[in-house]
Amino acid sequence: MDNNEKLKQVFCQALGIEADQVTDSLTYNTIEEWDSTAHMILVAELEDTFDVMLDTDDIIDMSTVGKAKEILAKYEVQF
Amino acid sequence: MKSNSNVSPLSGKSVLVTGATGEIGQAIVASCLSLGAAVFANARDEDKLAPLLETWSGKVIPLIYDVTDERVVKEQFRQIQKMQMQSDIGPLHGLVNNAGVMFEAPITVSLMDKLKEQLNINFLAPYQHMQLACRLMARQRKGSIVNILSQVGELGSSGMSAYASSKAALKGATVSLAKELAPVGIRVNGVAPGFIETAMTKHYDQEKRDNVTQRIVMKRTGKPGDVAKAVAFLLSEQSSYTTGHILPVDGAFTP
Repeated sequence: MDNNEKLKQVFCQALGIEADQVTDSLTYNTIEEWDSTAHMILVAELEDTFDVMLDTDDIIDMSTVGKAKEILAKYEVQF
Repeated sequence: MKSNSNVSPLSGKSVLVTGATGEIGQAIVASCLSLGAAVFANARDEDKLAPLLETWSGKVIPLIYDVTDERVVKEQFRQIQKMQMQSDIGPLHGLVNNAGVMFEAPITVSLMDKLKEQLNINFLAPYQHMQLACRLMARQRKGSIVNILSQVGELGSSGMSAYASSKAALKGATVSLAKELAPVGIRVNGVAPGFIETAMTKHYDQEKRDNVTQRIVMKRTGKPGDVAKAVAFLLSEQSSYTTGHILPVDGAFTP
């Protein structure tokens, strides 16, 4: 499984949504499944899956799926 | 029917205890070990922690760092994140924010630097620890955070306004985070000791000590073990339906 597939799987599991909903433009707080509680679970799952520990500023900035990829790239996770 | 009475309640799980070399910290570490947990024992002074490691039986991982150093705290949690994967340690289940300082002074002679130091150690550091710990716990959808507060923060005490404020701030975070973290299975509680016999209270002379004891319904001062028992209760499943609670450990202190 490549990192794009892993990322998609994390979003599906953390938010409880279907894979076809996970697009780069999917945005925090625009669907009821991606609320503040789900965001915490999402961060926890991303850190676990990609073996990183994110800065608080990065967590605040992680407002879309595309942005999540950009942020993870800073931690040497390639997409 | 099989009995589970021999199963250690925190077996296969880990707990981080800050301020592990103080008397209350030592008692909390021992209590967690008796519940079967692996303990990340934090202290600033390696020389103080080293001899204690020999007295504890169980899995203790020393973490030498200053709780107020934000960058270092994050690095330590990164280490915990990696180490909790080991089978003899297990996922982080508990955080006990125990490290603290107390300075007594009337407001007219209170130094702002001492106020800031107490806020840093007693409130800001525990807050950062909760911020990082809850992310590790969220993966398990389970965890228990216990903050060591104080009856001084609950009731107030003349000459202790700065200390009381720092503990009251932590109480506010405790009850708020109990609500915020409940959806991800993390409980957040506080223990509010009264007069406990430790180095912090050693400077009390006999007259002051007698005066305090007279105001305690149980007519005795507390011991570090009294606090540790309350912490153990809140870490374990014995308190599975308790969150946002401040448990006094004060022998019923009457101000």
